[in-house]
Amino acid sequence: MRKTGSLALAFMSVSLLASGGSYQLNLQGLRQVAMGGSGVAWPWDVSAIFYNPGALSRLDGLQVYANAFAVSPRVRYEEALTGVYTAEAHPKRSVPFAVYAGGTVKKGGKLGVGLGVYTPFGSSINWGDDWRGRYIVQSIALSSIFVQPTVSYRVNDIISVGAGFVYGSGTVEIHKAIPLQDMDGNDGRSVLKGRAHGVGFNVGAQVKATGKLQFGASYRSGVRMKVKDGNASFDVASSLVTSFPNTSFSTELPLPGILTIGAGYRVTKKLVVQGDVVFAGWHTYDSLRFEFKENTTALRNTSEPRNYSNTIALRLGAHYNITPALAVMAGGAYDPSPVSDDLLAPDAVDADRLSLSCGVSYIPVRNVSVIAALNYTATPQREAFYAPANFHGVYQIKSLVPALAVSYKF
Amino acid sequence: MKQLYILAVALVAGLSACKKSGVDIVDPERGDVDFTTYVAIGNSLTAGYADGSLYRSAQLTSYPAILAQQFRQVGGGDFNIPLLPGNAGWPSPKRVLAVRNGCDGEGALSPVFFSGVQDTAGSMANISGQGPFNNVAVPGMRCVDYMMPGYAEIARLFAGVGYAHRFYDHPLTQSPLDVTLKRTPTFFTVWLGGNDVLGYALSGGEGNGAGGVLPSDISLLGNFTSVYDLLIDTLAAIGAKGVLLNIPDITTIPYFTAIPANGLILDETEAETLSNVYTATGIRFAAGANYFMIQDVTAPGGARQIRDGELLLLSIPQDSLKCAGWGGRKPIPRSYVLDAAEIGNIQTATIAFNQVIQNAAQKHGLAYMDADAYMKTLQSGIVYNGVTYTTTFVTGGAFSLDGIHLTPRGYALVANEIIRTINARYGSTISLADVNRYDGVHFP
Repeated sequence: MRKTGSLALAFMSVSLLASGGSYQLNLQGLRQVAMGGSGVAWPWDVSAIFYNPGALSRLDGLQVYANAFAVSPRVRYEEALTGVYTAEAHPKRSVPFAVYAGGTVKKGGKLGVGLGVYTPFGSSINWGDDWRGRYIVQSIALSSIFVQPTVSYRVNDIISVGAGFVYGSGTVEIHKAIPLQDMDGNDGRSVLKGRAHGVGFNVGAQVKATGKLQFGASYRSGVRMKVKDGNASFDVASSLVTSFPNTSFSTELPLPGILTIGAGYRVTKKLVVQGDVVFAGWHTYDSLRFEFKENTTALRNTSEPRNYSNTIALRLGAHYNITPALAVMAGGAYDPSPVSDDLLAPDAVDADRLSLSCGVSYIPVRNVSVIAALNYTATPQREAFYAPANFHGVYQIKSLVPALAVSYKF
Repeated sequence: MKQLYILAVALVAGLSACKKSGVDIVDPERGDVDFTTYVAIGNSLTAGYADGSLYRSAQLTSYPAILAQQFRQVGGGDFNIPLLPGNAGWPSPKRVLAVRNGCDGEGALSPVFFSGVQDTAGSMANISGQGPFNNVAVPGMRCVDYMMPGYAEIARLFAGVGYAHRFYDHPLTQSPLDVTLKRTPTFFTVWLGGNDVLGYALSGGEGNGAGGVLPSDISLLGNFTSVYDLLIDTLAAIGAKGVLLNIPDITTIPYFTAIPANGLILDETEAETLSNVYTATGIRFAAGANYFMIQDVTAPGGARQIRDGELLLLSIPQDSLKCAGWGGRKPIPRSYVLDAAEIGNIQTATIAFNQVIQNAAQKHGLAYMDADAYMKTLQSGIVYNGVTYTTTFVTGGAFSLDGIHLTPRGYALVANEIIRTINARYGSTISLADVNRYDGVHFP
């Protein structure tokens, strides 16, 4: 007849946030990576499809190019106040790659075409199942592959322009513990898995101001990576199963629009120096929402504040030809974090990054180039807080990325 | 190559400039305190009582046990606890969650008595030979009992509480203070006073709300003051430092809030039927949520609807509420209700007792933890490393299945607030316990 509300299961809301930090990867062309990631102003090679579609029509003929990077960042957490507790993310190697083909259709022609396949963002961190932040995240893996058909036109000897259409697809997988224990004291678990898709564009222009001085600008649009029908599965005590139905979810991860402006200068016949200023429109990432097809009192849609800020990064590099066949590169970059100190989640660890890189390129036989490079990125220790979860600590990231590229000129 | 060199120099300069980022990680330090011998004084909350009983694993996750663990970073010594032999709960079994069919035939998640392995044999045996103990808290202990000679024997004979009896070496003659001082503390915590109002509250306010000597009375302020002051004066005279915790407002705990005042859910026919029962007094019921009927001798017909702010006790038999007309045609008996006047008595006494505690802390320069304020923040929720702990019964995570005492996670939250209090008062830097490492409520 009547019911009292004494045991109504009004659960603590279980948030299922995922990630985004500075999950951008700046590993698309090895020669540029070796020069601190700069390269919008100089038509180095066919990786210009990514760096500046406007440069594609200034290549001499067609090229194919492939590179791969071995990424295994070390991420460390230290409990704030005394650091009695520390955690190190389980090292996990990923291999972002890029393949480009294209250039001018005819040697010395004005029209350039090309296709790029690259991995502009990705993030993967595995803190383990039992670490202190397990109710925020145990592990997360984001990956992407973008495909970009591109056309470029050399208007005259000074100006060239280009544009590409971007189709992105990716995957997301998030594991976290649910703070409801079974009779043996085991936490509940949730796994969110899904495929994401999005579209965008990449446009650019290059200006050869003098024989020595060149300018370039590119704009890569933001891409909204949408997960429409992801798979949410839960493993909880049997009396709670109806509160956590396996269902589908949708979410969206916005990748920022990136405007790059740069200049390159041929100092001597052998030495080129270049620099880029990179504006990233991170402010579009204001929150991360998960919507579940089936909601219960325990499983509600979530919205986690992110409130990212736009950033301006600086990249500098130099390229020195020792012989016509052998060149060395070096450079560095400063990449400030878009994440504020009170909204830094352990699923998207980030801090102002400093990176140093160097590389060597060699032409062993005619038309073939081989490039090897090393990039070292480190952040200072960053004391930060994730307010929605009241999670406080000191983070540090260190990453040494070796990479290899091969290109062939037709 | 010169440009390259300049670039490299600039980057190295940049790297070193960014090293300074205001990170304050410090080593654990003891500050002005010697943690060698920590003695915990208190009642059931300090003993680690949970789920309506006392059992070994709960004793090991009491807030003093958690504190002692953290104190080891800064020179804390062994922490001797009068442990029970088993985990079933003694003397009565603890509660566990189970799905049970109620009188209405519906399955519901409910606290029931633990029926697993009964491992309590030997609980009665006197273990004073293993003493002296660091945790001398006794469930049921009131502040006003602390100087009472023969306390353990009296508690056992008249209240059926044998907790003190099992670890006092002279139960017939010793006072709780005598047993406390068997181990000379260098550091202590005192969390007493809860039972000086709780007994009254648990009786539904049937005892003397103005002050009396029986367990169902609110303790007399004069008695409370003289005993508390003598206890703290004695401890301070030893030269020990410590933390005094005040009494939380017990009317915010799940035992008194789990059953909502307007939990009488009726359909249209039921509402009309019930309205007809009370035609004489003109009390009307509508479809939906209604306020329960309670006994009140001063009301016309001896019954009225409970008002917002008045509280129902978790001890109300659920089947009577669901199926026997309690709260509807049968007003809920007074012993299950705290009315506005009774709540006023509890709150007035709590404020007065807390003033005594605060005065004692000031007098001796001891750390004072406003446990009342801290526990009130649980009402809106305390977020810890991704988990929101609240006062919600069963699912709030902080209170155990008796609705009064805490889960190990709840006790760890308290331990951390005590550590913050110690760090602030004594200049120490003791690290906080990892709350989520401990157990919460277990679901079947």
